[in-house]
Amino acid sequence: MSQIPNLDNAPINLTSIRDQSQKELLNILRNVRGRKCVVIDQTLSGPLSLLIQTTLLKENGAELRHLSSEPIQTDCSKIVFLVRCHPSLMEFILSNIQYDISKGLKKDYFIYFVPRRTVACEKVLEKDGIHNMITIGEFPLYLVPLDDDVLSFELDFAYRDVHVDGDTSSLWHIAKALHKLELSFGVIRNFLAKGSASVKVVEILESMQAEDPVDSEDVGIPEINTIILLDRDVDMFTPMCFQLTYEGIIDEILRINSGSVELDASIMGTPQDGKKVKVPLNSSDRLYKEVRDLQFGVVMQVLRERATSMKQDYADISSTQTVSELKDFVKKLNSLPEISRHINLAQHLCAFTSKPSFNGRLDIEQTILEGEAYEICFEHVEEMIHKQEPIISVLRLLVLFSITNAGLPKKNFDYLRRELLHSYGFEHMPTLYNLEKAGLLKKQELKSNWPIITRALKLIADDSSSTNPNDIAHLYSGYAPLSIRLVQHAIRSGWRSIEEVLKLLPGPMKRGGDSTTSDMRNVHANLGRPSDGRRSVALVVFIGGVTSGELSALRFLSSQEGMGHDFIVATTKVVNGNTLLETLLDTTVRN
Amino acid sequence: MASSAATVSIAAEWQLLYNRYYRKPEIYSLQWGRMTIDLRRHRVACAPFGGPIAAIRDDSKIVQLYAESARRKLQIFTSSGVLLSSVVWDRPGGRLVGMAWTDDHVLVCVVQNGKVYRYDIHAKPLPEFEIGTECFEQGILECAFWGNGLVVITEGNLVFCVPDFRETEPKVVRFADPEIDDPPLCVAVIEPKYTMSGNVEVLLGAGDGVLVVEEDGVQRLGEGVGPLQKMAVSQNGKYLASFTHDGRLLVIPTDFSKIMFEYSCESALPPEQLAWCGMDSVLLYWDETLLMVGPSGDPVSYTYDDSIVLIPECDGVRILSSTSMEFLQRVPDSTVSIFQIASTLPAALLYDALEHFDRRSAKADENLRLIRSSLPEAVQTCIDAAGHEFEHSRQHTLLKAASYGQAFCSQIHRDRFHEMCKTLRVLNAVRNPGIGIPLTIHQYKLLTAPVLIARLINAHQHFLALRITEYLGLNKEVVIMHWACAKITSSSAVIDEDLLKILVDKLKLWKGVSYAAVAKHADNNGRRKLAAMLVDQEPRSSKQVPLLLSIEEDNTALVKAIDSGDTDLIYLVLFRIWHKKKNATRDFFEMIQGMPLARDLFIVYTRSYDHESLKNFFLLSGQLQDVAFLLLKESWKLGVNPLASKGSPLHGPRIRVIEKARDLFRETREHTFESKAADEHQKLLRVQHGLEVSTKQAIFVDSSISDTIRTCIVLGKHQDAMKVRTEFKVSEKRWYWLKVFALATINDWETLERFSKDKKPPTGYKPFVEACIDGGQKSEALKYIPKLTDLREKAEAYERIGMAKEAADAASESNDGELLGRLKLTFGQNAAAGSIFDTLRDRLSFPGVS
Repeated sequence: MSQIPNLDNAPINLTSIRDQSQKELLNILRNVRGRKCVVIDQTLSGPLSLLIQTTLLKENGAELRHLSSEPIQTDCSKIVFLVRCHPSLMEFILSNIQYDISKGLKKDYFIYFVPRRTVACEKVLEKDGIHNMITIGEFPLYLVPLDDDVLSFELDFAYRDVHVDGDTSSLWHIAKALHKLELSFGVIRNFLAKGSASVKVVEILESMQAEDPVDSEDVGIPEINTIILLDRDVDMFTPMCFQLTYEGIIDEILRINSGSVELDASIMGTPQDGKKVKVPLNSSDRLYKEVRDLQFGVVMQVLRERATSMKQDYADISSTQTVSELKDFVKKLNSLPEISRHINLAQHLCAFTSKPSFNGRLDIEQTILEGEAYEICFEHVEEMIHKQEPIISVLRLLVLFSITNAGLPKKNFDYLRRELLHSYGFEHMPTLYNLEKAGLLKKQELKSNWPIITRALKLIADDSSSTNPNDIAHLYSGYAPLSIRLVQHAIRSGWRSIEEVLKLLPGPMKRGGDSTTSDMRNVHANLGRPSDGRRSVALVVFIGGVTSGELSALRFLSSQEGMGHDFIVATTKVVNGNTLLETLLDTTVRN
Repeated sequence: MASSAATVSIAAEWQLLYNRYYRKPEIYSLQWGRMTIDLRRHRVACAPFGGPIAAIRDDSKIVQLYAESARRKLQIFTSSGVLLSSVVWDRPGGRLVGMAWTDDHVLVCVVQNGKVYRYDIHAKPLPEFEIGTECFEQGILECAFWGNGLVVITEGNLVFCVPDFRETEPKVVRFADPEIDDPPLCVAVIEPKYTMSGNVEVLLGAGDGVLVVEEDGVQRLGEGVGPLQKMAVSQNGKYLASFTHDGRLLVIPTDFSKIMFEYSCESALPPEQLAWCGMDSVLLYWDETLLMVGPSGDPVSYTYDDSIVLIPECDGVRILSSTSMEFLQRVPDSTVSIFQIASTLPAALLYDALEHFDRRSAKADENLRLIRSSLPEAVQTCIDAAGHEFEHSRQHTLLKAASYGQAFCSQIHRDRFHEMCKTLRVLNAVRNPGIGIPLTIHQYKLLTAPVLIARLINAHQHFLALRITEYLGLNKEVVIMHWACAKITSSSAVIDEDLLKILVDKLKLWKGVSYAAVAKHADNNGRRKLAAMLVDQEPRSSKQVPLLLSIEEDNTALVKAIDSGDTDLIYLVLFRIWHKKKNATRDFFEMIQGMPLARDLFIVYTRSYDHESLKNFFLLSGQLQDVAFLLLKESWKLGVNPLASKGSPLHGPRIRVIEKARDLFRETREHTFESKAADEHQKLLRVQHGLEVSTKQAIFVDSSISDTIRTCIVLGKHQDAMKVRTEFKVSEKRWYWLKVFALATINDWETLERFSKDKKPPTGYKPFVEACIDGGQKSEALKYIPKLTDLREKAEAYERIGMAKEAADAASESNDGELLGRLKLTFGQNAAAGSIFDTLRDRLSFPGVS
């Protein structure tokens, strides 16, 4: 199975977007004639693998390498650097070229910036006049389809950049990507945005529309009716919670990267010592499509049933008479690799989920969300620090604890910070500073709004039954993800019914298009619902990342009866609490 | 066939040259402004394709001055004789040797000393240049022009070429020396597009043949044909018409392979002008006589009382006289087929039929029936013929005939008719004497509509140009932009606000128009304020911002860049301003201080590439804590550097940096926590250094306080551990966790037990239980599990060491149904254990537990 997802079932023609990018990339390769060494920035290899088969690159005379500070050994005289426009990568390129110069090697250098060349990068290249030796181009890859309903801008650091460093480059990138979507699929007439980053994206998008208007004659009837933009900052609660869906758990424990997971071959039942295998995870895998969004416990049941029925079929085969029965059996056999793949995976995950500490963690999360037993939660976090549990798990819980309480009382705040530094080292001082800047870990100044929010939006289910779900809350064992509740209300009322609650969440709110009309019923009827009975398409943009759990919740929503919408999610990156917080650690991240 | 009187009269104006008809309609009678230009007394340059006429009094002749100034004037007219502009000619450098229009309608004037003066159509001087010192010394004898180039021959018989006037600094090429002593008898050039080499070839009439001069060589051709007194190269560059010293007109291919045609004239006096009329005949002009010689048959002769100028066009020759502009052309075939006397061709019959129809005569029908099968062809011919007419009424009648015929045709391309109507509207519009561009349809097609529009706007006929672009559906931007720029240039007296309004009114006609480009023009015209106002109208920040920078509106540029949200644009401005204010960084810092996004981006960039500038910035803006964080970052860099961690002063530099950071944190009250942490940090480094010295093991530096304590215990250095604990005031609770885990690491279960008995542990016995279970010591764990007070913890601990009954008891004691359920799942496989849970559950009967 290929890592490149099948997009045939997408509500809009995502294949055309991917084909376009593919064509652009191949053109770049063809423009540099003959054999060439293509040096790829590591962080790009994920997105590229979702775009194009490496064999296709090789067919075009490209020898593939990864960019690092180490000089590249190749006998190609043409070097094509394919890099994101990040200044630190320029240093690598410089050192590579300087190495060649010192060896007296004469080569042709090309840099293709993804998605565009920037002044800051070129300024770094100006050093020693090296930029005169380089041909510069652009590969305008602004987004990659991850699956038939998920697009990724592949901006790993968007949350940190915006909320810690105040660098809004990623917001421009998002607006540009959305504008490109509009150029292919028509102007999106209704928009709802919450959070400072969302509103900024809308503003940039509006000015892009003014500068380069979408010619409605060219694109026909708009295919996307509504766009909902959510700044991750509005809901940092959800990503801090441990995900319980199948895909969520895989991501939490094994980390899904650009739609695939890498694990020891032994887990997949092919014992080859130490070898890693890459398992693609997308809806092209039919079984996975079926179970990815279910609670892990349910998935185990489904898999068990499948295995049992296979076994039964196998037993029955001896009595099979007709050819058509045989054919059915063979058909079922075809799904055998899928079943065994997921059984292997699930078994591996079980080793983690059956630990008492796992349950303890879920319990304490629930307690924090319910927001009543402050002391218990505090002591739990304290104990985790004392036990020196992995810092990222500690921070994740601590952040959840802090944001649900609108910060911690100064005494506790200083105490826990001190214990953290004592336990994990003083090099985490900037990390704490970053968390403070992002408002994720801070001194309590006001009373928390969290209880009001949970009540108003019914985030905590009274009694949850994970096997008979009727609300998104079942996916998180009784917690309905705030972000998805907001999407639900956006579709239902254009946020009119929850305006007061929205004010309690960080950042401004903005809406436009049909949703600005004052007639409520009109809004309800119009919010993107086309008159011809077609399901309308809503694009939900998560700025700062979305979790698999939230994606599952959205898929659950759109499968609900009476829902007239198909959702497409566009996100800066698919994240989980760990990956999101890791971008805030200054010790491990970039420079 | 009966042809009407009107038709006869049309053909009666034609002249027959052997078997071809020629006509010479007058297209304009000339106005010449205030005073008629006497061609005898003037040098005249006329641009082809109906272009402008430049005239200047000839200084090589002695002329009588009438009521006019003694100072010569360069005057520029349209082809219809409307004065466009004039300027006093006071250029030094001697006699005016040559004057001609380039393809771009720049008038090039070459004077004797090799200076080249250029004017635009509005008589505005353009940058002048010199051909070179040899020209200056020797003087120029002759020159010849083509397209955008020029060739000069000096008095010393050297050849120089200017291949392209369009370059800002036209370059001069010296051609090979023809090595002749006498000046050439005549000069002609073959345009680069018709030569093998792609460079211009210069033909010099010398001796009894021709010298072909190029950059890298001279070739002698056609020996014995001459001497040649006059030459003219045909429009397609293939043939040369020449007049020999003995009065013969020769037509020779330009490779001189043979003589194609020869005609002996009555006079051996070379004609004043020699020109090709299309490709079919050659015109010779002597005073008062114009002779048209064709390949066979008798020449046609015209008489002029007045002096004339022949202007060769691709499909004929325009004849300029003091009173009129005529166009001599071969009558097009379609026109001949209709108007030739007694023509019975289908088109003629169709034309005739229309006349009958208009007179309500039944003959119309008869005519149509005669030509039924060839009606489409007849229609096409009428349409074609209409295109060749200058006279509106004749165009009209021909089109009407076509339209009439079309009505009887089922299969015909009606768009040809529409196309012709459209073309004729354009042609009639530009032919209007007020505009004065007498293009034929053939010339128009060769020139193309965009070039025509460019010529119109060059002549400041913006309105017409705009109407034509609209009519033809072309891009209006070029017209509007040119208009706006011309308007700015000519409106120096209009105040900025008013001018802006006038400009914006028109600029908004085209959606994508670049305000930035117009603003740039305004700036070049010294109207910076207007430029700024125009830039403000530009919706594309990517175009606005660089321009604002170029007009030094740095602050506005930065604001606009920030508004656009495009961080790349912001960096562009930031770097530019930063560079400019290298010596006034303070100003720069203050500027960005008020703009959060610019400030943040500056910080992001400098954090990676310029710590010193960033520190200065933070210091200036009073963000001392940020300076401190930068110092901390630097201190780790020092730590990573292996050289820094060696030797006795060891971490000296590193500690000093941290201390500096601590002191900075101390400056602000809000950062007490950080200052304490930094203080502890430097203290820790000192302690760890001491430990490394005493243990002779480099394993302490860069580990945390907790790790240091654990390492000490693991190494058996309990006293040191205690010291660290006291030094950093480690809490009891943490101390217990650390010590228990450290002891478990080294499997020192005895010490662990003793430690548990020291006093009642502040953490309870949980650490002991966990350490034992994690270390796989079931029996050790059992020492502590009963002491756990939390029943849930107790149950889970039993569960972990596989003691189902005890786990179940604890769980049931805690009344925790959920826990019990989970335990059952864990122990489910074991039948004995399973029954225990069933019993318990029955007893408790918890709802909802399966």
